[in-house]
Amino acid sequence: MAYLTFKERTTIPTYDNPEHGTSGRVVIDHERCNGCGNCALICPGDCLYVAGVGKHKKCYMIDKAFPDCMSCNDCQAICDRDAIRVSVTYDFGYFYKILHRGELAYPRNF
Amino acid sequence: MTETLDVETEVPEKASQEGEMYTWHEGMEWNPVERIILERRSVRKYKDKQVPEKLVRRILEAGRFAPSAGNSQPWKFIVVRDREMIEDMEKYVRLRCKVLKFMLNWQTSPLGKFAWLYSQMGARLMPNLMHPIPFGATALIADGKLKLFHGAPTVILILMDTRGAAKPPVDVGICGQNMILAAHSLGLGTCWVGFVEVFKFGTKWNKKLGVQWPYRLVEGIALGYPVAKPDGMIERELQEVDWWEDGRKRTVF
Repeated sequence: MAYLTFKERTTIPTYDNPEHGTSGRVVIDHERCNGCGNCALICPGDCLYVAGVGKHKKCYMIDKAFPDCMSCNDCQAICDRDAIRVSVTYDFGYFYKILHRGELAYPRNF
Repeated sequence: MTETLDVETEVPEKASQEGEMYTWHEGMEWNPVERIILERRSVRKYKDKQVPEKLVRRILEAGRFAPSAGNSQPWKFIVVRDREMIEDMEKYVRLRCKVLKFMLNWQTSPLGKFAWLYSQMGARLMPNLMHPIPFGATALIADGKLKLFHGAPTVILILMDTRGAAKPPVDVGICGQNMILAAHSLGLGTCWVGFVEVFKFGTKWNKKLGVQWPYRLVEGIALGYPVAKPDGMIERELQEVDWWEDGRKRTVF
């Protein structure tokens, strides 16, 4: 069986339509986050920002239906406090549908 | 009478030492090469500090010894360490991205429906370049939110000799990855910059950099000392692997 149906193959998803696909998403543990802003600094999709003052200075993901998060997880790597990680990886559907992938996992030492 | 006790002694597995190379046993720690591969992350914020020339030369050596089809070595390197030149390149690419955004981004373009039509046509002609991720990056570069080389003090441009044996694009990729892993093992940060391809929409940089037949500019590598500690292991999707053995197929992750 074909991996993509004829309709999927011929439909280019409209990138700003949440019904066509999903963008990457991160979860931020605000108990751990101290708002250092390293993740916001390096985010290639400009999806993160720091807001608040003093103790309440925390990192947030921009409130947009379709942020440019490409689930690269660089934010997780740079975070010293283990406060941020990608929870949803991108999949734009139709022509760009992601094939043959599994759950998120750390490198496994076999 | 003495009884012999049947004490199960745990036979300790070979103690795993950090830095073990050229061997494998179960439960072994990552060796240095694996660690560099697994911990290497793209770096998008660099310190102003310039990379010593010798270090760049050493990284280029790693590229020189990359495997290639038929040992054809279909690459040529250009090292740019001139800040003004790097900024000029960034400006140039930003202007081109503005034009692309104007033509293709239907959300912001005054062309409205036409932009939507162009983008749909473009995606059918160039499905890789119009993938949502580079499409979004084009808009970010146009808005000045993403810099082409992320402010790196040194840039290595890789030119591909189009006459290379078999599959020169693959060879160029292998060569670049060699250099990038070497760079990270030496404490530097790197990022692949494919947007240098935008130079082909004009003559200025092709002329200045001497990009002409048989060469084609395919990739750029930003090089510098990273801000904070961006390298580290992360989670990533597992890959579904078809595993053929003993005459049947299994699916493993």
